[in-house]
Amino acid sequence: MSNHDTIDAGRQHLGNVYAKALLAAAEKAGQADQVVGELESIVSDVLNKLPKLDSMLKTPRLTHEERLPILDRAFGGRVSPTTLTFLKVVSRHGRLDCLRAIARAARKQLNAARGLVEVHVETAFPLSDHTRERVIGRLRELLKRDVVLSTAVNDELIGGLVVRVGDTVYDASVAASLKRMAQVTLDHTKQTIRESLERFAMPT
Amino acid sequence: MKFNADEIASVIQAEIEKYESAIDVREVGTVLEVGDGIARVYGLSNIMAGEMVEFPSGVRGLAFNLEENSVGVIILGDYLEIEEGDEVKALGKLLSVPVGNSVLGRVLDPLGNPLDGKGPVATTEFRPVEFLAPGVAGRQPVREPLQTGIKAIDAMTPIGRGQRELIIGDRKTGKTTIAIDTIINQKHTGVKCFYVAIGQKESSVANTIKVLQDHGAMDYTTVILSGASSPAPLQYISAYAGTSMAEYFTYKGEHALIVYDDLSKQAAAYRELSLLMRRPPGREAFPGDVFYCHSRLLERSCKLSNDLGAGSLTSLPIIETLEGEVSAYIPTNVISITDGQIYLQPDLFFKGIRPAMNVGISVSRVGGAAQIKAMKDKQVAAGLRLTLASFRELEAFAQLGTDLDAATQSKLDRGNRMVEILKQPQYRPLEVVDEIMIIFAGNSGSLDEIAINRVQAFEQEFLQFIRDLKPEIRKEIADKKELTSDLKQKLTDAINQFKATFKKTA
Repeated sequence: MSNHDTIDAGRQHLGNVYAKALLAAAEKAGQADQVVGELESIVSDVLNKLPKLDSMLKTPRLTHEERLPILDRAFGGRVSPTTLTFLKVVSRHGRLDCLRAIARAARKQLNAARGLVEVHVETAFPLSDHTRERVIGRLRELLKRDVVLSTAVNDELIGGLVVRVGDTVYDASVAASLKRMAQVTLDHTKQTIRESLERFAMPT
Repeated sequence: MKFNADEIASVIQAEIEKYESAIDVREVGTVLEVGDGIARVYGLSNIMAGEMVEFPSGVRGLAFNLEENSVGVIILGDYLEIEEGDEVKALGKLLSVPVGNSVLGRVLDPLGNPLDGKGPVATTEFRPVEFLAPGVAGRQPVREPLQTGIKAIDAMTPIGRGQRELIIGDRKTGKTTIAIDTIINQKHTGVKCFYVAIGQKESSVANTIKVLQDHGAMDYTTVILSGASSPAPLQYISAYAGTSMAEYFTYKGEHALIVYDDLSKQAAAYRELSLLMRRPPGREAFPGDVFYCHSRLLERSCKLSNDLGAGSLTSLPIIETLEGEVSAYIPTNVISITDGQIYLQPDLFFKGIRPAMNVGISVSRVGGAAQIKAMKDKQVAAGLRLTLASFRELEAFAQLGTDLDAATQSKLDRGNRMVEILKQPQYRPLEVVDEIMIIFAGNSGSLDEIAINRVQAFEQEFLQFIRDLKPEIRKEIADKKELTSDLKQKLTDAINQFKATFKKTA
């Protein structure tokens, strides 16, 4: 698991709180989608690509006053005023280290508010657009909700796909099938051999 | 024997043909941190307390703490292979262990895996480790005796089938020996025995197993072992796992005996887990629910009602005290849960009074209901406790060195001989008939003229004498389970006849 995906339960908890406040403020201005998009872009396009900026924002050596001009220069004019103000508020509270958790939580809460379900699909080969559409259509039918699909390629699956909705994983991959098949066969064969052994055992 | 490769191949082929592909649905989480036998897991949002989870290495765990942001899991096995970020799978099952006749004679770990190298446990039956104790309607009062084969216990603190009798004492006072003697004495009674060793040295458990084997007791005994080096989660659940294996027989209408050796170590393991899980510590740093930990365990020992098959589960929990401190937290808890306690004292032990039972404060709340009529007889065990208590008082008084009148002196002589009679070497349980006869002999004053150092020899030779020359008396007591005046006369005559041939002083 790569570093930026690591979950810290404490930070995630803080993230949920900040995200809730941010969404409420952005919703009032009618910019919720835009703000969450910007926040995600800050994490994926800026922080992940410029680790130095990331660590500078996190470091407790800089005071809030020292961080303000950096934030202004880096993001001023490029993001909406709501987002920039939010970053400054987070900075004042010294919680810029929670930014990833906040972005994650904000997306989740926004999706939940919009009635969307996040679904993660892992396949052995990249999905073609056609298959992608079919997967989304089928999922929408099954879950009776609109679906936000994220995909990943994992060639260890050999074939098939693994669908993750929330904490539930539906594993229809070839690798899992083979593994289970091996286990079942092993168990039954062991059982059969044991029974055939007992056939020769002296009755006690 | 040879396996036929073709046969195996055909079995596998049949398996593959029958195999139906189904989508594997699982609830998952991610390991946040792991160590010291516990893991913190993010996700698993629908997991229930006590549910089993599986780590990628195949190691199982138990959902122990459900918190707002994470799930605390106790790991039942090797936790060194688990890493941060591993996927954890909820199994939707409760922890269960193999049960049935095939666990008898085996040495198992708390999960039911064999430790004795005798191959896998061949059983298809499993039983959940945590099982609710039967309620009032499912029980009936304890009424049959469970003979320990130890004179002092069977006479003064009798144990009934379905009773919970605590064995408590300092280290090295013979607690385990009493339990082992009791197991050995269950031979030919059909009582299935379970010995749960918690946090003990593997060497002493190996010794115990050897003793059981040498006395032919392993045939009906299962040893559940989580040694001192096992992780705390295994030590914690081993008591429940052993109880499940024993309960199987209870609910089948049979009788079972379980020894927890010892519950102080189990409580310490539970404390370790609770502290690692950051549950608030209470007295002696034990968590608030350590009482429940033991009460729900010991409540499972019971005598089932006739509707449920009238089976029973007797338990002998063992508690080790420090410096005789019975008012510590765990001892008082377990004393209040059990139906009585056998209190062993080091000073008695070193005086040579073994079993080193302190008669004054050892009790059995079931009492006479767990004794056969012959044992309850006034001339056998009925007044024994009081006699011994008054003897102890007199003994203290006599130490002042004053001249004693004849009546007091004879009381002292009698008491000394009774104490001598109640001594018993380890691993030599007696049949209840023999116990009755020798206590009767002591009470009737027949031993008063025997020198104290000859009392034990008298006992041995007398019992041998009856066995060889008067087997009809033994048989009559065993059949009638009662001492009629006619039978008492016969017994007295036999004692006198034997005394005539016995050398009274060394």
